[in-house]
Amino acid sequence: MSQTVLSVVLEAQSKGLSTLRELIEQLKHEEENPPPPYTGSYSRLRSLVPTLHFMSISVFEDDHFDPVLVIEANFDGPQGPFWAQLEAAIGPRLREILRYCERPAGRTGEAFDLITRPGSKHPLAPFLEAHTVMPMIFHQGNRGLDRRRIDREAKLFFATQEKLGNGAQYRSTDAVTLHRTLRSSLRGSFDWLGEPEPVRIPGRERLADLAKLAGFVMAALLVLSFPGVLLALVVPNGWLVVIVSLLAALATGRLIKDLPDLFRQFSGSEPAPVSGPPPRMRDAFARDAAKSAGSAVGSVLMAVAAALFLAVYVALAAIVFGAVIAPLIPAPFGETAAAAARVFALGLSSVPFSLCAILLWLRRLEDRDPSHDEPEVRPERLQDMMRREDFIAQNHMGSMVLVKPGLLRAVLIRAGLAGLALILRVVATSGYLGSMRTIHFAHWAMVGNGSRLMFFSNFDGSWESYLDDFIEKAHGGLTLAWGNCVGFPPARFLSLEGATHGRKFKNWARHSMATTLFWFSAYRDYTVNQIERHARVASGLRQPTLSPEEAIAWTRDL
Amino acid sequence: MTAEQVLRPLPDGIGTRLRAWAFDHVDLAFGLLRTVKPILKVGGTVLVTRYDDVREVFLTDDAFPVPYRAKLDVIMGGCPFFLGMADTPEYRRDTAAMRKAILREDIPVRLAGAVEALAEEIVEQAGGRLEVVDELVRRVTFTVLSDYLGVPDPHGADLRVWATRLFEFQFADPGDDPALRADVDRMAPALRDHIDRLIAARRGSNTTGSDFEGDDVLGRCLALQRQGEPGFSDEQIRTALMGMIVGGPPQPPMVVPQAMEQLLRRPDALMGAQAAARSGDDALLAGYVFEAMRFDPLAPALPRVAARDHRIAVGTPRETLVPKGATVLAAFRSAMHDGRRVPDPGRFDPRRMQHEYIHFGHGLHTCFGIHMNRVLLPLMLKPLLRRNRLRRAPGPEGHLTKRGPFAERLWVVYEA
Repeated sequence: MSQTVLSVVLEAQSKGLSTLRELIEQLKHEEENPPPPYTGSYSRLRSLVPTLHFMSISVFEDDHFDPVLVIEANFDGPQGPFWAQLEAAIGPRLREILRYCERPAGRTGEAFDLITRPGSKHPLAPFLEAHTVMPMIFHQGNRGLDRRRIDREAKLFFATQEKLGNGAQYRSTDAVTLHRTLRSSLRGSFDWLGEPEPVRIPGRERLADLAKLAGFVMAALLVLSFPGVLLALVVPNGWLVVIVSLLAALATGRLIKDLPDLFRQFSGSEPAPVSGPPPRMRDAFARDAAKSAGSAVGSVLMAVAAALFLAVYVALAAIVFGAVIAPLIPAPFGETAAAAARVFALGLSSVPFSLCAILLWLRRLEDRDPSHDEPEVRPERLQDMMRREDFIAQNHMGSMVLVKPGLLRAVLIRAGLAGLALILRVVATSGYLGSMRTIHFAHWAMVGNGSRLMFFSNFDGSWESYLDDFIEKAHGGLTLAWGNCVGFPPARFLSLEGATHGRKFKNWARHSMATTLFWFSAYRDYTVNQIERHARVASGLRQPTLSPEEAIAWTRDL
Repeated sequence: MTAEQVLRPLPDGIGTRLRAWAFDHVDLAFGLLRTVKPILKVGGTVLVTRYDDVREVFLTDDAFPVPYRAKLDVIMGGCPFFLGMADTPEYRRDTAAMRKAILREDIPVRLAGAVEALAEEIVEQAGGRLEVVDELVRRVTFTVLSDYLGVPDPHGADLRVWATRLFEFQFADPGDDPALRADVDRMAPALRDHIDRLIAARRGSNTTGSDFEGDDVLGRCLALQRQGEPGFSDEQIRTALMGMIVGGPPQPPMVVPQAMEQLLRRPDALMGAQAAARSGDDALLAGYVFEAMRFDPLAPALPRVAARDHRIAVGTPRETLVPKGATVLAAFRSAMHDGRRVPDPGRFDPRRMQHEYIHFGHGLHTCFGIHMNRVLLPLMLKPLLRRNRLRRAPGPEGHLTKRGPFAERLWVVYEA
């Protein structure tokens, strides 16, 4: 089953902020001490919202915008049933909380009046759904594992551990026999071991992810080849179009400061000494790309794949163009499509020029960005955050920052996040984000008509170690996502430096965070790694037999 | 007594058959409406099909009160019963009064055991071949509940016939059939007299609530009356008991056999329900029975009447003005299949959440006996489900037949 990551964002009433906070704290207290028949902290929410993995409620305050209430949720399946479950579980409390929000402008204003009037019983789910903000980009650890599966595989794991005891009685047992013995003794209590293992990422989801990424790349190619397309329409000689385009790219490229650094970043070679601190480790994506391109065979295969992809792009563009234009002109479809194919193919020669032009513009903007002092983190706010952290294996963070103004930034942040999102869906399928093995759910979303970027994450370990992990292993992606935001440490080409300024980045991140007033985790004691381990043990126990090699590998997780 | 005697004969015409066909295929129409026209206005009637909107109608009881008052007055002889009231102090007084006499702790202590024991006895005595509607469910329901309420069969008449006929008049007679009205004009006063005589006899015997033998709802009401509690005049006691008899026992013989039929259609679900019954997992068994009922609930919709102009689904593209006086049909059957709120609604899932079901209405007029029904309805089937090789009886009688909205006949066989 696929998971959904979303937030509800509502303006909070400035005058009622303290009451709003109290109400959220009351909800927290009530869920920590639920009424009978529920026993145990958060057991009511856990049982009445069986699809929920994580949920938080925060209030963001900033001098630059009105206070904002954010309900963030990560759950299984589509959002409609989730909102119905949440309303059934904590509807009255949520209604109280909503009463301290501003009446939204637009068509939901009247619905807001209905749900917040005294004594109202008006359904909440449609209103919450209408104010849902979907993420621009999200990552889901343990991808494809729904909550029910996580819960029951954990139970199976601990039952397995119990059977093993201190392992003394199995010391002389070989791995295949151990597997067979454990499986037969656990089958009675875990009848689902006899069912086929659910596919974590179904083939159609994988195909859809690939198709979306291909569509995004094609759309980007279409936009970037626009100058060449225009040139090809007016210049009959194709070679001339190519030569002019490449010369323009060379000329523009020479104007861009630090361009070689960017090439080095993506080619995987050692960086030249630069003024800023050197990246400590290659970005996960760049490293993966470099690894696969390492061998000669890999390079040839990649070149063939790229050529095929470009051919498909040209063919598709020509067919679509031909189908649209042919009925409007006397020429037949075949002729129109052939002419269009030539124009779109020649248009590709201007992609390097367009990229260089964008990079030149971006670098100029980056050079002129006002330098920001390290933001001041208010001690009482920091204390409030820290006293709620590190109680369990996991932690939570929510941050909201202003996006830098300007047309190019507006386009780049959307295109960058959308592209990164699609790449993540295609590459992050193992349950982890590259070599980062601590993220359960993380997402970025744009709010306030695109003027702010919101980030939420549920992760393992302390906040400090999480940020260190990010800085070390995914600074490139992080800088691409956050580099267009006010106060982010100086970056070049939206990918160099930025998050590598560790201390500055951490200060900035803390400054942008809000205290998480309410936070729910459905499996508080399990790390991403542990959940994957449970899944591997369960997967092995589902198999009637394992080969000796498979059995030995399987026992390593016991 | 069989369905032939309890239920009224239906005219055997094309109209009857068309109605039956439409009822059998109503989910298709609801599915289409939820997508293309979730709130359908035809003349003075508004059909509401989505989960959100059905809940809104039920929860907005000030704009959409129940339309039951006029017929209740006929049944009760003009004495007000809370089912026909708006959210008034009288409504709150009368429902609170009945909660003092019909106690939640009676369900495990007194009713659950009685239902299961009688159902077991019937299944055992049937010897491997049983008719579910009358022989099992109607008999168990009326026997246990009339004993609990303290209202036995009247001399020379049968409570099952009276209650079912009055129920039909109140809830399933949109065309105001004159023949049915004639029956009601005879049965309603007779039932009122019957209860009046019971009150007088009980008061004469002076056993009101003083010991277990007299500890039924009527006895408790009379004890509360003696204590001077408000809401317990003779007339109020009679009205409340009539309301319970007319509104309550006729329903299990409709929905429980329908649930059994749905289980018989799904071998896996039947196997699961039988395993739950055998292992004594009553919560899971209830999950199977109520999930089965979701595929054939009591009715497609419940009516309300707009007391004022009101817009449903405000702030959505389907926002619709319901004019004052319009009849609103809240299609709770459709709501329980609305995938926008009910996950994977086509799947039979015995572990669904409570809020996904609207079997007992919602809001102010949620079924008064909801807690009783949640426990007792599954127990009526439990002894039968425990039997080995439970299956349909051969031939057409092994498939549930209906007479109008009422379940009529369903024969099953099992290992005696």
